[in-house]
Amino acid sequence: MFSFTKEQKIFEISGVKIGGQPGNLPTVLFGGFFFKGEPYFDTAKQQIKDMYILSNKTGNPVIPDFFIKKEENLEKIIEFIIKEIPKNKPFSVDIIEPDLKIKTLEILSNKNLLKRTVYNSIHIGTTNEERQTLKKHIPEMAIVVAFNPKDKSPDGKIEVLENSAHLLDKGLLDIVKEVGVKKILIDTAALAPGNYSGAAIAAIPVIKEEYGYPTGCAIHNVVEKSSWLKNFEDSRGIVDVASNINIPVFGGDFAIFGPVERANQVFPIVAWEDILISEYTENYFGITPDNFHPRRKFFE
Amino acid sequence: MENQYYPWDGEFITCKYNSCVAVVLLNIKYNPPNTVAIYGSLKTENIGIEKIVANTISNPYIRYILLCGDEIRGHRSGSSLISLSENGIDKNHRIINAPGAIPYIENLDEKALERFQKQIKIVDMIGEKNKIKIDKKIDELLKKSLSSFGKSYIAIRIIPKTTKIYDKRALHSKIFIDYLGKIKKRGE
Repeated sequence: MFSFTKEQKIFEISGVKIGGQPGNLPTVLFGGFFFKGEPYFDTAKQQIKDMYILSNKTGNPVIPDFFIKKEENLEKIIEFIIKEIPKNKPFSVDIIEPDLKIKTLEILSNKNLLKRTVYNSIHIGTTNEERQTLKKHIPEMAIVVAFNPKDKSPDGKIEVLENSAHLLDKGLLDIVKEVGVKKILIDTAALAPGNYSGAAIAAIPVIKEEYGYPTGCAIHNVVEKSSWLKNFEDSRGIVDVASNINIPVFGGDFAIFGPVERANQVFPIVAWEDILISEYTENYFGITPDNFHPRRKFFE
Repeated sequence: MENQYYPWDGEFITCKYNSCVAVVLLNIKYNPPNTVAIYGSLKTENIGIEKIVANTISNPYIRYILLCGDEIRGHRSGSSLISLSENGIDKNHRIINAPGAIPYIENLDEKALERFQKQIKIVDMIGEKNKIKIDKKIDELLKKSLSSFGKSYIAIRIIPKTTKIYDKRALHSKIFIDYLGKIKKRGE
């Protein structure tokens, strides 16, 4: 447990604050919807409600993360967001296909949702057309993925933020500045086991000390891609859930924890770690936990 | 012993090492017959493709890669593999005309890619999930019984230079933790 010398930025979106020194704000949890198969709206409706209840119980803010993979589902998912996510709360859209990202931005803009949107994500595959669209329809917050195919180490992740490893005309941070997104989260790009997967965790304090930006990752991806865990299928779930605590331990600010089905376990385990960190950092570094921090809940 | 032909780790099953067919599974649940050399799934249009290249040119008996199952949305990994075979990479190591989001080949050298283009022919069955049709195509390819491409080519994984740190307080080459538990940038 430690504290950073560099001033740490805190960004807010629709009441959710992310970033800061370890022990100040709770870890923000992104719970994923619609990764597999067709969107299951009825189940998702209840899962969202349950996740907000968990968030209230533990103190960890939640941002529902909607995976949009087909154009034919786009409008339906946006309508679902409008209907089911309270108007004062944020959400994120996770899209891979560049054309679909553009269409999504346009619809979010038409529906006046950009102020509540976390755009997931800007990376070295971001196209010029996408950049032009982002300039016209600026989301409130964006996740910048520090994936560098040339170098997966923390240095490589810094390189891609600085100069995009020379794969694009400028670095990812300059692209974010160019398109006008003011609030950014750095995702340290967790890769499969065997691909320097630990670097996603090691990079968290490096990036936070370098830039002071809120930083985190989807470390559960490493577990999901592990074939070694096939030898321990009963344990895969708990390994997946537990892997998230690496993020706050290394000073990180948010965890994209994967399928929402794991929320019941992820919220208490991460809240518990936030409590441990806060106890130490308040006593040792004088970092006061926020009013809604899990440690406050602990004494209620 | 047969795994000497597949030096890069990954999720794959090896069968008959001197078969001329490798099968790449996209979105499909299917086990090819054990008459193929190797099969496994492809997810990403960068690291995933690199592993397929390395683990097919290493076995000179493999002359065909059959791609089957629905394309991976967003990543478009199957189509990106076809683009690599047809067009190679540009000066930024991007696969030319690949439709995937981040189709960069960074851990293989040009010789390995040239070898891949010469040794392997891609059989495009992207979108096909009918197991009978795929089995039939595999049989057809096996009957062609192409000869070995010669010597095995072991692709060396390009690894970036690392910084060795002798400072025991260092968490990383860029930061260290001081005796008060403060993280600081090194050299400042």
